[in-house]
Amino acid sequence: MTTIVRRKRVTALLALSLSLALSACGAQNASQNAAGPAAEGQAPANTEASAAPEASTEPSKSDEPLVVYLNDFDEIIQPMFEQATGYKLELVSGNGAELASRIEAEKGNPHWDVVWMDSMPMIDQLGKSGHLLEGWTPADIGNLTDFASGLVPASGAYYPTGAHAAAVIAYNTKAFTKDTAPKTWADLTDAKFKNTLGMADPAVAAPAYPFVSWFFQNQGMDAAKGYFDSLFKNGMHVYPKNPNVAKALTGGEIKAAALQESNAYALKNKGEPVDIIWPAEGAPASVRVAAIQKETKHLEAAKAFVEFLLDPKTQQELIDKGEESYFEPSAKGVNAKADRAADAKLVVAEAAWAGEKEGEIKQWFADKAVK
Amino acid sequence: MLAVLFVLILLPLLAVVVQVLFPGIFFGTLKIGDLSLLLDIFRRPLWYASLKNSVLLGLGTTVLATLLGGALAFARSRWAFRTARLLDVSVWLLLITPSFILAQGWVMFAAPDGLASQWLGWNGATRMVFQPAGLIAVMTLSKFPLAFLTVKAALEWRVERLSDAARLSGASPWTVLRTVELPLLLPAICSGAMLVFMDTVGDFGLPASIAAVFRFPTLPYSIYSALYTSPIRFDMAGALSFYLVLLIALAMSVQLYAMRKSRFDFLSSRAVKSEPRRPAKGGALLALGNAAFLAVAIGIPLGSNLLMSLQGDSAGGGFTLEHYRALFRDGGRLAQGLAHSLEIALAAAAIGLVVGFLTAYVLNYTRFKLKKTIDVLSLVSLAVPGIVLGIGYIFIWNQAWLQPIGLLLYGTPWILALGGVAGAIPVITRIMAGAMAQVPERLLAAAQLQGAGFSRRLRTVLAPLVKGALLSAGLTAFGSSVFDLALSSVLYPPNYMTLPVVINKAFEDLRFGYASAATLTGAGLVVLIILSVDLLARGTRRSSRRTTS
Repeated sequence: MTTIVRRKRVTALLALSLSLALSACGAQNASQNAAGPAAEGQAPANTEASAAPEASTEPSKSDEPLVVYLNDFDEIIQPMFEQATGYKLELVSGNGAELASRIEAEKGNPHWDVVWMDSMPMIDQLGKSGHLLEGWTPADIGNLTDFASGLVPASGAYYPTGAHAAAVIAYNTKAFTKDTAPKTWADLTDAKFKNTLGMADPAVAAPAYPFVSWFFQNQGMDAAKGYFDSLFKNGMHVYPKNPNVAKALTGGEIKAAALQESNAYALKNKGEPVDIIWPAEGAPASVRVAAIQKETKHLEAAKAFVEFLLDPKTQQELIDKGEESYFEPSAKGVNAKADRAADAKLVVAEAAWAGEKEGEIKQWFADKAVK
Repeated sequence: MLAVLFVLILLPLLAVVVQVLFPGIFFGTLKIGDLSLLLDIFRRPLWYASLKNSVLLGLGTTVLATLLGGALAFARSRWAFRTARLLDVSVWLLLITPSFILAQGWVMFAAPDGLASQWLGWNGATRMVFQPAGLIAVMTLSKFPLAFLTVKAALEWRVERLSDAARLSGASPWTVLRTVELPLLLPAICSGAMLVFMDTVGDFGLPASIAAVFRFPTLPYSIYSALYTSPIRFDMAGALSFYLVLLIALAMSVQLYAMRKSRFDFLSSRAVKSEPRRPAKGGALLALGNAAFLAVAIGIPLGSNLLMSLQGDSAGGGFTLEHYRALFRDGGRLAQGLAHSLEIALAAAAIGLVVGFLTAYVLNYTRFKLKKTIDVLSLVSLAVPGIVLGIGYIFIWNQAWLQPIGLLLYGTPWILALGGVAGAIPVITRIMAGAMAQVPERLLAAAQLQGAGFSRRLRTVLAPLVKGALLSAGLTAFGSSVFDLALSSVLYPPNYMTLPVVINKAFEDLRFGYASAATLTGAGLVVLIILSVDLLARGTRRSSRRTTS
């Protein structure tokens, strides 16, 4: 009896797995046959494929969702946008590096319509290599703050929606007071802070690059290398990412740090003994920008999305309800978090310059770390 | 068979390695790349350190984990002792728990402000763990299950006559073990060692997690940096992957050399199912030793996670179930991710089992010329980091010409299932091959003489003999695909988050408590599924034997 039951089950399982395997095999054989000529025949096939669906999807445009790649605000943006505009939205969220990698690998056949991340140099490079929609100006462009409109490229390939400090000076209030803590970036090389400081690794942590690149552009390559060398000589602890820096700061391993803005405010809000200093010369900023993919099939929805992000109402809601809520809005008439310092001054390395030098600077840090 | 392996594993890998030669090949530009990248491994300090560390970690862990796993498997299938079942559960747990979670647990335990110094007042832990030998030990404790399962699967059947004959001729139990039993297990031990080596050199979780405390870059770590720090350098990842593949090839040749000329198909009709016996003495000692071992191997990494998941968010906060409650609030994101992951893992295990079974068959019973190639191919995906395969999958399955024929799999859940199959094949194939090595061809030949067709031979002769291994293989594949982070983070389709993506996101948002709670809940559920399937299958087997005999 049990034998029969068992046999039936095994047969059913076998049948299932076989049918799965067969369909998979069929798929693979087909693709393999085609794989040979594909290498040369790719270009014409490409244009054909992209031309055909465009005509057929024209009438049902609003049914196909807009695909956005983003690294923050994935928890609230979808319902916000869908309710405001009626367009459907699908998200791929991940950290900036994962998404950059996906975008790069998809170059032959992009799946995204809009990218919205705080990686301006990377997106600038994307525009330079001709992957972004250019020459389009959002309706409300006049409402950008002076700081934000200075960041818009001539090509109009991307628009900033906000900026946050890639690093501020955060210190443990048990070790320092407002007067004894380091107050400028130059202070970090001071011998009295020997072995008490920490920062995130620019070769690993995404926000650490906008931080160091400002020094490299501002001071020149060699002077900046000298500056960071003297930081290392002063016993600067380098941690892979900002959260590790935050942990070391509250754990007592270090007493002050160059720490990303939202990490620093998160510590303060949790009641940790941490306070924040905005250096008068400015905190290097990480700028969040939105860009439209050149070949997008959902141009109207994509434009609507970018304009939606530039809308003061949207930015206010992101500040009030979002998780990455500590940032300087790019639209006028929006209030930043009440506890964000009023004198917060942001400075930015030029996107084109930072994008070009990114590989070289990061490699310098990576090889430095091994020695 | 070769075609399947080729498409699933080699093609995506090649797609990445070829980036060294032709950087723009998938984007319609053909230009020759800079081959000197390949030599950069001896010039760039980071790369050179990565290569050295990978070799050291790989070799050390392979030796220790194979010894440990083999010895445990031997003890487990020979003697019955209390807590033995616990060992089985722990092995599954270790196997399916993603390595970054295990490593994270060790870091929480041994970091300077970790649990060891905070709760036990033991400050030496940091120095002991965060040095090369300590990392090898941690790796050994995480990877021994691979050796354990392979050896244990091979111990399912015993030919007592061989050992009895040796004993009758006056050999001591130790001599029998050394000269008869162990040599017969050589294929399984080698398979296990191979799996450990591959999984160790390909492991990314450990170097990434410990980097916060101790800098120990390995090849996968540097590959990851090339792929996941802007500017994205596929060609550099390709060059480093090339060295990883070279390491595997070297290891394979060592194995082939060790096993040349020997035959291991010793099973005959006299084989009996091995049942653990109560040891004459020392049962309590065994149980105690086992429990102590598990307390370290499981207790430290998973215990640290458990503590983390129960700790309140505020500094010095007491214990709370808040994080577990949050799991069910989060708009069902976790439940959805879990459901997606289970679907994918089921499909991957089912397809992988068929592919792996047939691959093992080809390896054991055919004279196919490209056998060695298949052998190597079936292992490669274990050592190649998931992100490399993932990027390769995008290159291959995202070409515009696939759209009209409905094969644009990138952007659909199918791509995750395919990736899962690639990840599952090495483990399934090794476990199956280890078990099949003992089933002599003449058993199949005899059936063929009686007129049994190919599928009937597989179904009625081979499959029943290796059923235990089939089950182990299927369940292992299922369990480990549920948590395959690297692959799913690059490949998951829009609005189709999987469990590891959700967990990883929580880690990145600093919600350690939530992440730990989600991991433990997910792992607990998967272990429950595995154990009940295992129990069900073994239960029916036992009762069916009773009815037929």
